[in-house]
Amino acid sequence: MRTGNLGLAAAILAALFATATVPAHAQASLSPEEARALEYGKEIYKIKANCQFCHKWDASGDTGYGGIALSLRKTALTPEQFAEVVKCGRPGTGMPYHDQYAYTDKRCYGVTRAELGKDAPLLGESLQPREIDAVVKYLFAKAVGRGPATYEDCVDFWGQDTRQCEPMKK
Amino acid sequence: MKTLAFAGALMCSLLAATALTPVQAADMTHERALNVSKEPHNWLLHHGNYEGWRFSQLKQINTENVKNLRVAFTVALGGYESGGRYKHGNLQATPIVEDGMMYVTDGWGSVYAIDVSGGKKGLIKWKFDPGTDRAWAGDVACCGVNNRGVALWKDKIISISLDGRMFSLNKATGEMVWERKVADPAIAETLTLAPLVVRDLAIVGSAGGEFGIRGWIDATDLNTGKQAWRTFTIPGAGEPGNETWKDGKERWKHGGASVWETATYDPETDTFYQGIGNAGPDWDPEYRPGDNKWAASVLALSATDGKIKWGYQYTPNDPYDFDEISEHPIINAKVNGEDRKLVVHAARNGFFYALDRTNGSFVAGKQYVDQLTWTPGLDPKTGRPLNYNPNTDVQQYAPGSHGSRAGAPSGRLCPSHYGGKNWEPGAYNPELNLLYIPSIEGCNTIDTVEQKDFVDQGGPIKPRERFAGGGGRPTERLYGSLKALDPATGETKARLKLEYPNYSGALATAGNLVFLGHYDGTFSAYDAKSLQELWSFNMGTGINAPAVTYSVNGKQYVAVLVGSRQALNVWQNAPELKNTATASMLYVFEQQ
Repeated sequence: MRTGNLGLAAAILAALFATATVPAHAQASLSPEEARALEYGKEIYKIKANCQFCHKWDASGDTGYGGIALSLRKTALTPEQFAEVVKCGRPGTGMPYHDQYAYTDKRCYGVTRAELGKDAPLLGESLQPREIDAVVKYLFAKAVGRGPATYEDCVDFWGQDTRQCEPMKK
Repeated sequence: MKTLAFAGALMCSLLAATALTPVQAADMTHERALNVSKEPHNWLLHHGNYEGWRFSQLKQINTENVKNLRVAFTVALGGYESGGRYKHGNLQATPIVEDGMMYVTDGWGSVYAIDVSGGKKGLIKWKFDPGTDRAWAGDVACCGVNNRGVALWKDKIISISLDGRMFSLNKATGEMVWERKVADPAIAETLTLAPLVVRDLAIVGSAGGEFGIRGWIDATDLNTGKQAWRTFTIPGAGEPGNETWKDGKERWKHGGASVWETATYDPETDTFYQGIGNAGPDWDPEYRPGDNKWAASVLALSATDGKIKWGYQYTPNDPYDFDEISEHPIINAKVNGEDRKLVVHAARNGFFYALDRTNGSFVAGKQYVDQLTWTPGLDPKTGRPLNYNPNTDVQQYAPGSHGSRAGAPSGRLCPSHYGGKNWEPGAYNPELNLLYIPSIEGCNTIDTVEQKDFVDQGGPIKPRERFAGGGGRPTERLYGSLKALDPATGETKARLKLEYPNYSGALATAGNLVFLGHYDGTFSAYDAKSLQELWSFNMGTGINAPAVTYSVNGKQYVAVLVGSRQALNVWQNAPELKNTATASMLYVFEQQ
């Protein structure tokens, strides 16, 4: 069982560290419904699930009080794989799971909490499938496969009522 | 017509009646600050007294009758809004109480003046909201949206905000008299601590040890609202101590050594004792070879001009984030039959230290946490960790207790990098000569990531970017403890295991009680000698602030701010608290 879990973790890691070749997603003009969906996903990333605490507002990853968090801008995961990591977390790392019933059965990576033991991921904010879908859509629209964040990205995230983005103006 | 006139008259008389019961508070003077023991009904200073005891002489509520304690009233406050990288603000303030008026803050720096003189309810007489730039400040706060309270000065309230400003407010109305930009969030400096007022100076320091600041302590002249002096906690080029940064790239300019809890003060020598935070980057000590003074230290400074009198470093070249910002109580005690003037500290690194406060020499040290793995002990003469090697620039403490660039696997670090004792203040009962240490027990693991340089050193890191050189990883459930220590030796006289690590702080009273809040919302009173729990009440949401006690009209009350939904690093190991909602409340208790 241990070997199986380690193999699984290694597979996830390999996928995460694979060279990012996902093309930047074109930002064609969005329909009101699409814009609403992105805003919904942003609020989950920013506040509800507080993903930015560890991954940083621009999803470029970080070290510090959130532990060591990978850059989501550089991820090579597909949206489906990405959603699975949000739902199930990453065993053996600080990435929490967001389906509160994960590991109560075999829905995540085919393993239970008992089988994972000390490698079981941490519990994050509970998200419904539609919320996970929204946060994945948001990240694939705004971060994944993109270069460094810009001043415009910053204002888009934080709004105009703060000095937060001023250092990026130059 | 007649009815209206009658109503008008009634209104007038009601207003007059209200006006007839004003709260009359005298100006706060240095004389009063030195003699708080003459006003046991008040809680005038952040730590209760300048010595940092958090002890009240009130004993109407005592071991005999504390079982009858009940809620007198509660007051809903604000400040839990999200901002920056935080989902909500916290309440960590110590209330200040003066003649029936209470002054508290929320995490975003709003000040609430609450009339508690009636004993039946708390009426918010005024509220001052500084309009903190939440994203700007909240994105460079390492560990929460925090503000630990206000100070009194003359007829003013002195407060701070996370985005680096200090305010002088009219005590009667809350109107701002002046504000001063003290810390600069543009370079990741923030303010979270309650100001220490000595005479006409308000002393604060900058937080930001995880963001590449160079720490400082700063005094504002309260008469003018201008800077009186500033002392950097990392000495500059040519100053003593600067040679302990041996990288040759001036990395001391971003070396951390932040300040975020209020100092203690000895009026006899006009010296204040300021705990100093971790070196930065926290977890990549190879970035900063050398002892890194005065990170993870205590500094004794002159209040008049901020000059450093002496310093004592607890964890040289700290690879753990053993921030030592918490209080340093001033206690006189007999040591080996000799009267000694001590300054003591329950350190985040898991040891209790007693130092001679006249010169900083080591007097005693002893492990107070249950488990400690990073060093086999302290040198009995110097207090240095036994595995400290003076002939190396990058310390290798116990194998596996910290990370390294070579990637040697990290093992268990005990206490965890949270401490030991974090910021939450302890208390001292001088009648029993016992020091109460609320602590965090257990272990975790540190992973090191090689830290890149700041732009001014040719690297890619810009101001406000995180600068931690790694991260902590939870490996087991943490728990807590309350311990009663002999302050001369550090010997543990009584101990109590707590279900949760403590993040609130203690209050000791002459009723032989110790009050402590817990993050499952339980607020407890313990017997000061045995630490047996005598009473508790659950508030239904986490407690992250220390309690105070006061009296009005001859009746004693106990007050505490309640309501912090605990961060991920807290509830990840206590999943039963996951769905606890945040609130923002003042709770006041009375005897039935």
